Amino acid sequence: MNFEKVVFGFFVVLAATLNFGFFLGPIDNPSVHNAGELFAAVVVNLIALVMKFGDRTQIGAVHLATSLVASLQLVAAAGLWSYYNHLVDGAPLSPEQISSVVSLSGGALLANIISVTLLVVETVSFRRQ
Amino acid sequence: MGPSSTAIFLVLRRMRAPLIVLISLFAVSILGLTLMPGVDAEGKPWHMDPFEAFYFMSYTATTIGFGEIPHPFTTAQRAWVIVSIYLSVVAWAYAIGSVLALLQDRGFKEALSLQRFERRVRGLREPFLILAGFGQAGQVVARSLDLTDHRLVVLDVEPARIEALDLAAFRSDVPGLAADASNPLELRRAGLESSTCEGVIALTNDDQANLAIAMTAGLLRPDLPVVCRTLEDGLVERMRAFGQPMIVDPFNLFGDGLMLAVRAPQTARLVTWLTSDSGTKLPAPMTIPRRGRWVVCGYGRFGGHLAADLRRYGMPVTVIDPRAQPNADMEFISGDATDPDVLVQARLSDAVALAAASDNDISNLSVLAEAQRANPDLFLVGRQNDPADAPLFEALQVESMLVPTQLVAHEVLARIGDATVWRFVQEAQKQDDAWSTELLDRITATTGEVLSDRWTVDLDEHGAPALLDHVRTGRVQVGALLHDPQDRDRSLGVVLLAIMRRDQVLLAPPDDEPLAENDRLLLIGEPQDRRALDTVLSVPAAAEYVLSGRRIGQSWVWRTLVDR
Repeated sequence: MNFEKVVFGFFVVLAATLNFGFFLGPIDNPSVHNAGELFAAVVVNLIALVMKFGDRTQIGAVHLATSLVASLQLVAAAGLWSYYNHLVDGAPLSPEQISSVVSLSGGALLANIISVTLLVVETVSFRRQ
Repeated sequence: MGPSSTAIFLVLRRMRAPLIVLISLFAVSILGLTLMPGVDAEGKPWHMDPFEAFYFMSYTATTIGFGEIPHPFTTAQRAWVIVSIYLSVVAWAYAIGSVLALLQDRGFKEALSLQRFERRVRGLREPFLILAGFGQAGQVVARSLDLTDHRLVVLDVEPARIEALDLAAFRSDVPGLAADASNPLELRRAGLESSTCEGVIALTNDDQANLAIAMTAGLLRPDLPVVCRTLEDGLVERMRAFGQPMIVDPFNLFGDGLMLAVRAPQTARLVTWLTSDSGTKLPAPMTIPRRGRWVVCGYGRFGGHLAADLRRYGMPVTVIDPRAQPNADMEFISGDATDPDVLVQARLSDAVALAAASDNDISNLSVLAEAQRANPDLFLVGRQNDPADAPLFEALQVESMLVPTQLVAHEVLARIGDATVWRFVQEAQKQDDAWSTELLDRITATTGEVLSDRWTVDLDEHGAPALLDHVRTGRVQVGALLHDPQDRDRSLGVVLLAIMRRDQVLLAPPDDEPLAENDRLLLIGEPQDRRALDTVLSVPAAAEYVLSGRRIGQSWVWRTLVDR
């Protein structure tokens, strides 16, 4: 067992699951989308992105690209959330506002799913020497 | 992705851990800040949101420190801020430290310099030569090739020599790489397979490496000329197995030069002079004894070559060497030549010449000094191994010096620099003294005792467009051509050294030799005379005037009027 692979897989999967958890629920209902979960998703996605740096293989390049997309979308979602939050101080987000945040995170989720698929493909195609 | 993008991947790979630490510690700090209870301006309970926390952490971690924004902090928040500040200091210190360590890293520096080298080699649009080995000989060759407008790419195993490349004031940009040129990969990096590569020069100190370079070049680019230095006879045959490398062996060269000087001193003088750099003064003739007994001290590879050459010219030879193997052909004295008792046995008083041929400069110097004392009339030949010892040999006033590095450089330049001069020299070496004396007199009478530029002219559409029609009639003679286009009674200060006609070389042709199309002329002369000749070759009116004395108009209108 390669410990590096464990950590790598852990972060890739965690990034996807946190993203999924935030995305889950009706898109226009602010009460089912947790700000803390979005925050965690942003952080874990950034870490997963950095872990993919410096791999020169083809599959490594695609890994990096998907993570880049997911991180961008999640950072955009978090930024949008903060922006709406400060438009009217302390007021909860309107259904239109929350749905644009969640849809951004939905895009990130798609990228994360590709990332996890790649991980699975890589694992399945790996043969013990 | 090529190997040249290695540097950026190294940076990314090394920065993974510091970046992850930085992100994690920021996340922990931000999370903590959002959880700590605070109060707003009216004293109501309030929590920072992640955006405000991120803002606060950004200006705190980067030591900008705007203060407690948007509301003054509570004790709980301040306690957490203390923790966050120390966490962020650790994260930044680690990240910056990693970057600095990476910049100092040898592997990273090599990756960067390799990347720069490959970019510079790819950027070479002009024909260039690959020079492997930037030692003594390599540096002389590089400087001289640079002065004659050749582009170079230099490889050497010693990183210090490649660094010295930056300090050497070359006229053109010379890319250098510290790498083992005997490795085919490195030669390809240096542009061996580039279409603009026009030759490979192997001058490393290691004969095996030179063999490997000749082999690589011969297999990958059989069309390229390869010049290769070697000191071992056995390697010559192996080098010849791969293409046709030009092999430069300083010991053989010196022996050949010495024998040429014995046979025809003026020819040797002419050849040495014409293959030097422009601006070299005519060397004094070598007063080498043409008969009599030679004493050769040291029967190594150089001594062996020299003794064999001398024997071939029928001169008696006495060899002094500690490991001498008696041989019917020569007189052998077993012993160390630096020992005066041994040297006495060689009967220096009735010898004509002595060669100190060992590979040790100190013993060579002591033998030469001892010999000079014993018989001041001896012709002395010295072998100098270390260039640093040059002043010592000069002080002894040795008549003929073998300096392997200089000899190799001279030979490489003669071969690579100008193939036409090389062909001329090959033919000229076969000539006798009378011929050489006459040519030397003509050259010195025309251009003086300082060597002028040598250049070639092709009598074809490109080289001599104005002259070509005249040449085709077969009535243009050598003597008629070399006249001033302003005043045809004045001869140009140009000497025609040779005409290359197909496989033939016509040496110093007489004035009535007719010129033919596609001849290649090898000329020597001053720059202003070269320009005058260029005018004759390219301006029809000038050619007509020089050849026939008729002034014709340069413009169509004038020509029509005059021709009526």
